Amino acid sequence: MNTLKALKSLLSKGIISDQQSAVIESYIVKKPFSVHWELRSLLYLGILLFGSGLGVIIYENIDTIGHQAIIALISLITAASFFYSYKFRLPFSWQKVTNSNKFSDYTLLLGCTTFLILEGYLQFQYQFFGTKYGIAIFIPTLIFFFCAYRFDHKGVLSMAITGLASWLGLTIAPLSILAENDFTDLKLIATAIFLGLLLIAISWISEEKDIKKHFGFSYLFLGGNLAALANLTALFNQDTKIAYFILGVALSAFFIVRSRKAQSLVFLLMGLVYGYIILTYAIFKLLPDTALGFLGIYYFLFSSIGVIFFLLNFKKFLRIKK
Amino acid sequence: MKKAYNEFWVNNLAIQQISEQWHFKNLITAEQLESVKTDFPVEFYRPGLFVKIGLFIFACIACSFFSGFISLFILDAGEKAFALVSIVCCICFTLFLEFLIKDRKLFHSGVDNALLYSAFGASVIPFFLLFNNMQVWQYCVLALVILTVAMIRYADLFVVICAYCVVFTLLANLMMKFALGKALLPFAIIALSVVIFYSATKIRSTYYADCKKVVKVLSLVTLYLGGNYFIVREGNAMLGDLPYLLSPQIPFAPIFYIFSTIIPLVYIFFGLKMKDRILLLVGLFALGFSIFTYRYYFGFLTLAQGLAVSGAFMVILSIICIRFLKETRFGITDEPDSERKIANLEALIAAQYLGQAPQEHGLEFGGGNFSGAGAGSDY
Repeated sequence: MNTLKALKSLLSKGIISDQQSAVIESYIVKKPFSVHWELRSLLYLGILLFGSGLGVIIYENIDTIGHQAIIALISLITAASFFYSYKFRLPFSWQKVTNSNKFSDYTLLLGCTTFLILEGYLQFQYQFFGTKYGIAIFIPTLIFFFCAYRFDHKGVLSMAITGLASWLGLTIAPLSILAENDFTDLKLIATAIFLGLLLIAISWISEEKDIKKHFGFSYLFLGGNLAALANLTALFNQDTKIAYFILGVALSAFFIVRSRKAQSLVFLLMGLVYGYIILTYAIFKLLPDTALGFLGIYYFLFSSIGVIFFLLNFKKFLRIKK
Repeated sequence: MKKAYNEFWVNNLAIQQISEQWHFKNLITAEQLESVKTDFPVEFYRPGLFVKIGLFIFACIACSFFSGFISLFILDAGEKAFALVSIVCCICFTLFLEFLIKDRKLFHSGVDNALLYSAFGASVIPFFLLFNNMQVWQYCVLALVILTVAMIRYADLFVVICAYCVVFTLLANLMMKFALGKALLPFAIIALSVVIFYSATKIRSTYYADCKKVVKVLSLVTLYLGGNYFIVREGNAMLGDLPYLLSPQIPFAPIFYIFSTIIPLVYIFFGLKMKDRILLLVGLFALGFSIFTYRYYFGFLTLAQGLAVSGAFMVILSIICIRFLKETRFGITDEPDSERKIANLEALIAAQYLGQAPQEHGLEFGGGNFSGAGAGSDY
């Protein structure tokens, strides 16, 4: 369907007037080609590449470049970035703030990244924080949380949440939760579940009390996955299975119910997948081994059809109107 | 052949989407948008992306256990019995697919995709089991026949991609049978890509609009890769069982140097000139791959230097462009066209790659996961 054909259809149904049609047609013909998102993506990717490259270069040349020179350079970049964002700041609000300045979002991200590099460098070279690693991680986390709320930046918020997690010895990055956390350690599992629940609670408060409502997604997604995955590994490996089972089912149900309010149906999917795995595991654990092979086929066939039926009618079940 | 989905609704859907863009640009009022929605109704079941993913996953589970269920009835475990199971499954899947499209008004909503792919898989298995000593090209032709039927009826993107790959496998397989064919393979790939690209631009039907886009992307990509020096040189070494680590120089090398340089620039130029986003984006990615190709053979920077320099270059270039395009110039602007949908994704990428705070053990650095910063992993 090209746009001119659509225009004709609208005109033939009498939805738009001839005059309006002429306006729209001239708009279609003259419409400039927007490269807005292409340029933004290029900028974003550029910052990511530059940050990574710079980090490695410094690491490789730590002996040859003067330390002071490197520190001065990084500090300069950091300060300039923060200054730029500060200069073009908007008044603070608990609601969403959209900054019309074209670069301040990106300079803030750059500033936060280089700040991490700077801090790591100081610690590596001068043991700036001695052996108090906790403080070394906690300081940027605090700053990032502050910046995220002050300048309304979801990316920096994610960095802050990551920092908070690594302060507790966890990796929260979505693709690395299972690979990089040692979930055989009961203490770590407890920490992960606790932090996950805390983040879920924060997301809940954000959305209910309208405190930076749009941050709810990041909190719920990062925290929810952490809690659910930690809980799942605990269910598989640990002894008190019934406790983990109840918690897991509760979490899944929470995700499914929450997807009504949250901005994304990704939580519906999360709840279903985690819930399905937990229930399946429980059923197979309870059934005697001899019945498994035969019943397994029926179970998977009918349960997955059941889930499909639920998904085809989820709006009805969850009373979502749109 | 009759189309599986209601073509009337497909057209209406396109009209609604275009009207929404106009509404975003304040060309039509909210009331007008509402009357568009009532006058051009769409009754398809179209859940969000994540519900689609869920439907797809669980439909795949259901399909595989359905075939397990069918095979319970057949006690004989020979190849012929398994072929029979496949045929029965294929028929069941197809009937069920048609029923769901009619009854539940599905429209590429996950379940129908899963059923279609399962049906296709089940339909080719008997050929492999019953005729297990055919040539590769014969299998390709068979698969292509089934895929073409599925493509015309269901206009499914993944089927289109499969068909496209099969066509090129067929081409490569036939060319490899001759000594001369091997040398001419890159040119044959380029020629076939051009032919497919031009036939794709001739498609007018809205029903195949998305398929057309995918075919355009694929043919632009294969056209570029067919002329890319890195692909041709390494491919040549691989096909000829030549030393893999130090691939030898290829004949007509200058032609491929020129192709690798010119094609991305041509894509970008025409993308901007003809306001074709597909051309522009493929051109940008192709340019990135050309830079990688150059660095691979003539690189004078280390990996990290390359990352930093290219990153800095990209930042500077995009800043210059953003400043330059503040006002519309040459019909190009920096004004956003529509709402961005992936803001949440960006934040998660930042968490994955930037957010690793100084660690207690090992490298006390904040730069995060150096290896995987987006497209940079190619370097």
